[in-house]
Amino acid sequence: MLRILYLCVGLLPGLALAKPIAFQDGTSLMLEYGAGSMLETQAFYAPRYWWSAGGGLLRLEEENGAFSRDIAYTRTNLLLKRWNLPGAQGNVFASGGLGAAQGSDFNGTHTAYNVALQADYETRRIYTSLKSDWQGSSAYAHRIDTAQLGFAPYPHDWTVLATWFVLQARYYTGGLYDGIESALVLRLFKGGVWTEAGVTQDGKLQTMFMFNF
Amino acid sequence: MKILMRTITQFFFAAALLSGNLAHAQPTARSIEMNVDGLVCAFCAQGIDKKFRKLDATADVFVSLEHHLVAVELKPGQDIADAELAKLLTEAGYTLRSSKRIDEALSGVRARTEKP
Repeated sequence: MLRILYLCVGLLPGLALAKPIAFQDGTSLMLEYGAGSMLETQAFYAPRYWWSAGGGLLRLEEENGAFSRDIAYTRTNLLLKRWNLPGAQGNVFASGGLGAAQGSDFNGTHTAYNVALQADYETRRIYTSLKSDWQGSSAYAHRIDTAQLGFAPYPHDWTVLATWFVLQARYYTGGLYDGIESALVLRLFKGGVWTEAGVTQDGKLQTMFMFNF
Repeated sequence: MKILMRTITQFFFAAALLSGNLAHAQPTARSIEMNVDGLVCAFCAQGIDKKFRKLDATADVFVSLEHHLVAVELKPGQDIADAELAKLLTEAGYTLRSSKRIDEALSGVRARTEKP
């Protein structure tokens, strides 16, 4: 059970590292790979700048191949509040969704839920965010808190490559992880193409690719 | 004969006058510059660019995060009302602070804002 819960650490989508809503009438496609134990793809569409909806498929595999999980889910993201300032922006988001989980080591389909709150503040050089993510099903329930601090070595405009170094700290409940998990992520994006790669203090690699159009 | 000559003269005079007016009325490139709050990311610019390019009056769009600037070059004879500009930016999730119309193409705006 603990191993299953530990796998769910990788359940956190790469979009935890970005705003859950890109822009009005925008479509976001995301693919994330996590340390050989997680593969996830998501697609979202935003009819308005303040909400988006979509879903994803998540594949989790125990590192020795003992079992696997397949989760299909839908999710809605809402922008609760935005502050537009000269050269800065702050946001508060809420997300929620339901999923259906199947596993190689249990019968049937389990319903899984997810609720999240996220706040961020950024300029062209500094990015900060806090997120709390509640996840549960009949098999598990936990909360994951994530704090991020990003720094851009140079101020970018949208027609040139943007580079960010993001330091992330993560706290888990439910026995998922002892202490604080930290990671360093390199984020590159230009136009609608976004890619990032990071490594945790345990030497685990994670990568993410996102395309917005 | 005199009436015919007068008519012909008036015709050519009117034609000359009209062509002169048309020459003076030849439209030059014209743009709208907007100062916008909240422009800090590529997605900000991408969404605004996409939204303004859909307008019939738009010839080109320029977004500068550094200068908090959104500029739209208008097609000849076209315009976008100030209320519409504010509405579009609000619908995109940003705040319009000010706008002004300039007799300058976007190439000039780009050159001006991209000066070292």
